[in-house]
Amino acid sequence: MELRICHLYPDVLNLYGDRGNVMCLKNRLNWRGIDCTVTGVSVGQSLNADDYDLFFIGGGQDFEQEVLLDDLAGGKAAEIRAAVEDGKTFLAICGGYQMLGAYYKTWDGQQCDFIGALDLYTEGEQERLIGNFMFQCPDIGGLTVVGFENHSGRTYLGSGVRPLGTVLSGGGNNGRDRTEGARYLNVFASYSHGCLLPKNPVLADKILATALERSYGEAELAPLDDRLEQAAHDAMERRLR
Amino acid sequence: MRLMSKLRVMAAIFACKAARLGLRLLGRGGTDFPGRVALKLCPDLLGILAKNVTTILVTGTNGKTTTSRMIEQALVDSGISYFANKSGANLLTGVTAEFCMHSNLFGRCRHDYALIESDEAAFKAISTYVDAKAIVVTNVFRDQLDRYGEVTHTLENIQIGISHSPNATLCLNADDSLCASLAESCPNPVCFYGVNVSVYATRVQEVSDAPYCIRCKHEYVYDYVTYGHLGGYRCPNCGYSRPKPQVAVSAIARSDADSSELTFRFESGETYDALVNLPGGYNIYNACSCMAVGSVLGLDPATVAGSLGRFECGFGRMEQFEIEGHKLRMILIKNPAGCNQVLNFLVGTSSPVVFAACLNDGAQDGTDVSWIWDVDFERILDMGDRLTGVYVSGRRADDMAVRFKYAGVPVEKIRVFRDNASLIDACLKQPEPVCIMPTYTAMLSLRGYLSKTYGFKQFWE
Repeated sequence: MELRICHLYPDVLNLYGDRGNVMCLKNRLNWRGIDCTVTGVSVGQSLNADDYDLFFIGGGQDFEQEVLLDDLAGGKAAEIRAAVEDGKTFLAICGGYQMLGAYYKTWDGQQCDFIGALDLYTEGEQERLIGNFMFQCPDIGGLTVVGFENHSGRTYLGSGVRPLGTVLSGGGNNGRDRTEGARYLNVFASYSHGCLLPKNPVLADKILATALERSYGEAELAPLDDRLEQAAHDAMERRLR
Repeated sequence: MRLMSKLRVMAAIFACKAARLGLRLLGRGGTDFPGRVALKLCPDLLGILAKNVTTILVTGTNGKTTTSRMIEQALVDSGISYFANKSGANLLTGVTAEFCMHSNLFGRCRHDYALIESDEAAFKAISTYVDAKAIVVTNVFRDQLDRYGEVTHTLENIQIGISHSPNATLCLNADDSLCASLAESCPNPVCFYGVNVSVYATRVQEVSDAPYCIRCKHEYVYDYVTYGHLGGYRCPNCGYSRPKPQVAVSAIARSDADSSELTFRFESGETYDALVNLPGGYNIYNACSCMAVGSVLGLDPATVAGSLGRFECGFGRMEQFEIEGHKLRMILIKNPAGCNQVLNFLVGTSSPVVFAACLNDGAQDGTDVSWIWDVDFERILDMGDRLTGVYVSGRRADDMAVRFKYAGVPVEKIRVFRDNASLIDACLKQPEPVCIMPTYTAMLSLRGYLSKTYGFKQFWE
């Protein structure tokens, strides 16, 4: 069994430890004897979604994110929209999450059109939401997820998507409606950047199981020794409770 | 009114000195509070105190403290009367307090020169009040994102700071496309410094903080990379490229676990050999920036080159301790670029070592610890059996433990410690030298513990 991960724009969307999520997914497969390949697809390279089971999109700096818009418009956006509808598994973080939505409107009114794969949009505000935060995922057995958010965009979900979780502490999507992230078909999206998955191993396995099921029809993930991961999770949960 | 303002200055200086003395009597360091008191009484105090002092400002992401210590030695060896903000008080409050401490009650400074290390975010505030003669920018790397924002934001802040300093000559790192771009956005005279040769035989894998041209967003091409995004870059689209440095490292004869031997070449063609008494490729850059500032100040290059071999490193910057026959080396880590350079250094050494990482998440460390995932810790596996243990401590010790696990360190080699005492105790109960990598507040705490328990110097002494 093999899982093929596509890391989109790894050299551009790599803000603050986002690659930790890919390392986490790969390790957790390998520890179970499942092969995993990670392929970076960046600016100017063509994307064929059939070649991959799982897609990862991280966050980027504003300066570099601008580099991507032309590249997306040149074919990748359409490929990504089709892959999402086809039930491929996606994990999108922060800037990558925003890019799956319809558009981003800056605080001074400029609108920038994005991929449009998910029914959501983002509006910039001058004040950033920064800090450790925690949310609860009703779809994943009430799992609490801890992470760090740092974003000026406020994301609002349309009726076609549901939130990944409910904010217990921190800002989440917009600091107002207590939603965090988005779920649509097999897409998982969150504002929690960097080390989201390593210390939320249940969420990591949920994403892996989703991708394996889509590709192989079934997925039995053997349990791992997650004591270190759980300790890191619990330490932050205690702080935020 | 003039009398009133003079009295206000005197009152502020007096209050600052009194507050600092008070803290010392309580056995505590710290310059933030005394500076805060002084600024409350007289908000433009720094401008008044710095008026007749020739000031050198050192800013940038990494290497500020070490570069300042090198420049300090060059000032000593050149017979210049100076003071420096030595205890890492590099915000507006701390810098104001340092000026107060070196002035009499009438605001007259006892020294001719001030050597001021300035936090890159506080730089624009400090430069508002100080008319700097030379400004050294070490480099611009991705740093604590929660505090400084994106690298372009840091660059903007530095640029604003320079715009307050029309009389300053800039010493800019030619090898850093971000830092060097300041020459285009600022009208000041510039002395570029750089390294003309690669500095590591093998390097860690790291993400570049600036892969795309700052001018036109096209991808750079590199003739060589020294580390991170530093090296001989050029943009094939718009032609923006590494400027030719006026002060360059033209050859590295040797670079090992203790020191480096370099040759500097000046624009005039003159060359100077130097021994740098700290290891690591990034200290070669720090040494080069010191030579550049020396040339801007008109110091004798041979004297400055000599200073590089006998300066005292800053606290926790590769600082060595010997406790009960055990060797401990403390190396401050702050961000992926700096931490990767420490790994380059460690992997290049040849003796067995225990590796300890102390991760805190206070405001001064960066509240976001995600950056540990951008560090190529996988590289320490290259050390094989030479790496006899991996210790973690600090408020985010558990995150650090997870990072090492995912880097491939066997879980049984990873030990988690909850306080300084148990960490140091474990270091002393095993035979190998220990390399401790703490974040800023973890370093202060650990340094304080070592001082108290084993009688090393306190950081304000």
